[in-house]
Amino acid sequence: MKKTTLSPLSIAFHVFLNTFIWLCIYRWLCGIMDAYAGKIADIDLTRKKVTVASTPSDWKKRYLGGRGFGARVVTDRVDARDDPLGEKNVFVLASGPTTGTGIPLGSRYEISAKSPLNGTLMSSNSGGVFGWKIKRAGFDAVILNGKADKPCFIFLNEGKAEIRDASAYWGKTTHEATEMIISDLGDTKAKVACIGPAGEKKSLLACVINDMDRAAGRAGGGAVMGSKNVKAIVAAGDLSIGVADEERLNTVKERIREKLEKNGICQALTKYGTAVLVNIINEAGILPTRNFQSAHFANAEKVSGEALAEKYLKKNKGCYACIVRCSRVTEVDGEIHEGPEYEPLWAFTADLGIDDLAFATKATWLCNKLGLDAIGTPTAIACAMEMKEKGYIRDGPHFGSPDGLLDLIRQMAYREGFGAELSDGSYRFAEKHGHPELSMSVKKQDIPAYDPRGLQGHGLEYATSVRGADHVYGYMVSPEVLGAPVKLDPYTSEGKAQWTKTFQDLTAAIDASGMCLFSSFALDADDYADMISAATGTSLSARGLLHIGERIWNLQRLFNLKVGYTKDDDTLPSRLLNEPLREGAPKGRVWQRQPLLDEYYELRGWDKNGVPTRQKLEELGLA
Amino acid sequence: MKVRVKSFAILRQYLPRETVVEMAEGASIRDLLSILVQQVPPLAGEIFNEQGELKEFVNILKNGRNIHFISGLETTIGDGDLVALFPPAGGG
Repeated sequence: MKKTTLSPLSIAFHVFLNTFIWLCIYRWLCGIMDAYAGKIADIDLTRKKVTVASTPSDWKKRYLGGRGFGARVVTDRVDARDDPLGEKNVFVLASGPTTGTGIPLGSRYEISAKSPLNGTLMSSNSGGVFGWKIKRAGFDAVILNGKADKPCFIFLNEGKAEIRDASAYWGKTTHEATEMIISDLGDTKAKVACIGPAGEKKSLLACVINDMDRAAGRAGGGAVMGSKNVKAIVAAGDLSIGVADEERLNTVKERIREKLEKNGICQALTKYGTAVLVNIINEAGILPTRNFQSAHFANAEKVSGEALAEKYLKKNKGCYACIVRCSRVTEVDGEIHEGPEYEPLWAFTADLGIDDLAFATKATWLCNKLGLDAIGTPTAIACAMEMKEKGYIRDGPHFGSPDGLLDLIRQMAYREGFGAELSDGSYRFAEKHGHPELSMSVKKQDIPAYDPRGLQGHGLEYATSVRGADHVYGYMVSPEVLGAPVKLDPYTSEGKAQWTKTFQDLTAAIDASGMCLFSSFALDADDYADMISAATGTSLSARGLLHIGERIWNLQRLFNLKVGYTKDDDTLPSRLLNEPLREGAPKGRVWQRQPLLDEYYELRGWDKNGVPTRQKLEELGLA
Repeated sequence: MKVRVKSFAILRQYLPRETVVEMAEGASIRDLLSILVQQVPPLAGEIFNEQGELKEFVNILKNGRNIHFISGLETTIGDGDLVALFPPAGGG
């Protein structure tokens, strides 16, 4: 038998070749197993054409996913002058790289479009299990272009996307449509995100509801879906979601799990949910009452989170992979659903001067069924109540009385009766009747459940938020009231511009990542960077993460400037600037716009008119 | 002097929803908490850390103002003041 002897040079060559081949295989696998599903369904509804494309690597690197993908697509495809309810608007639904990877609290998806409520580049976030399921269906994102000629739904299944007839579901509530679609598919594991009658009627308060009771709310995203004749997006299938470095990710998961479990605020969210805020915000004298005419509600205790837990709570519930489980499952008069969260609980009680917890719970459920925003709907009613109180309108609801309000909500969804006047939110209603100052809104989007006269930093967030007044685009309540990550004096302006900017940028990055914002009570930028790096196989630092968030924020800002927004719009309603609070600890205070706003622009690298400078855009790769 | 005390969320397992505490003039929040902990010892674990300082995210308001921005636990209380005790809470 002949014996072969390899020369040292030959051995070296074989070692090099083997190493090279294995490196290529490894890099190829990393490209596939990078926590993304890898595909985008790009759908032309007008031409009934479905294109399935690979998720661009540039998008992954520069925008992560979710809100970042949405901001990029809307910027690329929509002219700022386009009618948001016309064919040229796009609707983007996108998950993030952490969504569905088993990272605790990694469950979210986002919808993005040009907002029909206010023209901003809006993006709304929702949890549940739908975000996870679209990745199991093989997709990172769905883009809806054009307009279908008849009601349809989009069916995503194992890497394929189809446009299917939805005539049978049009006109149905979100609950009815969800149950019918799942039943007709014969797949009890399929998940549905859909609009209700409000979206079909293109109410500017329409949102998208997934998993029956989870809402991608605010800014009218549901109306955009309705304008395209799309009733639902449905996800089915069981494709796996591979990550780049499972061992490293498991280590990161363990670390963040421990942080979340030990965090006092996360523990409190498990125990009481978000509704527990009613009492603390009221005691601090910043619970907006009767359309922000006051910031203290005498009967807050009756509609508090504690009362909800005592009277109606059945159990708590979590989104996919959630260990906090903040959602409340409640029962009233034999009916069981999720909610209410703090915001709708406040808006259906204190803001309307109503102390009826059963009414507030049912009203929130009704909003979910009809696909109405459970913040903008009651705040529009609050505006009407003040208009009525002041004699500016002859007919309308009264502060303190829930009588007839459930029917009014239904009317708002169907554009019927007096409800039709409120269907597009408080601003259009108040403006029509000659008193736009009574709409407690910023850029036509109503202000949520914290009076900024006692929260200087949070007021700056409302004034500058890129989709109008908002609490989830930079939750300054966290340091100014809850004490996380540090306690900041709510009455002072010093340092708030920097904090607000950092919160806004971090939130944009979290929204892009697929993580729930509540995770930020326990986690810091390093944690998010670590989990994204391990899942995607990239090397992302905390600084890099914030840079991505800042890029997304500026992209949205640039769009809004093209729409026509200016520095003059970065402000609050005159009541909050000129009418001091009359009671409680913040008595005598108003929101101080300056010097906060100028400091904020400077820190953002924007000019004195709030326009991003060339240097800033170059730094962010947006020039 | 008489001080009104309100408790919230999980603290209601230990304290009434609202109560009145008799105290000497010039007493501080620390004094008030000492009295309450004497009455209900398990309350200490909800409010204080091992160093005897307020636990992270516990907030105490005197007449609506967080004592952190007055004088912390040394904040003095007056007759008729309302002290609100909040365990960690969150939302959005």
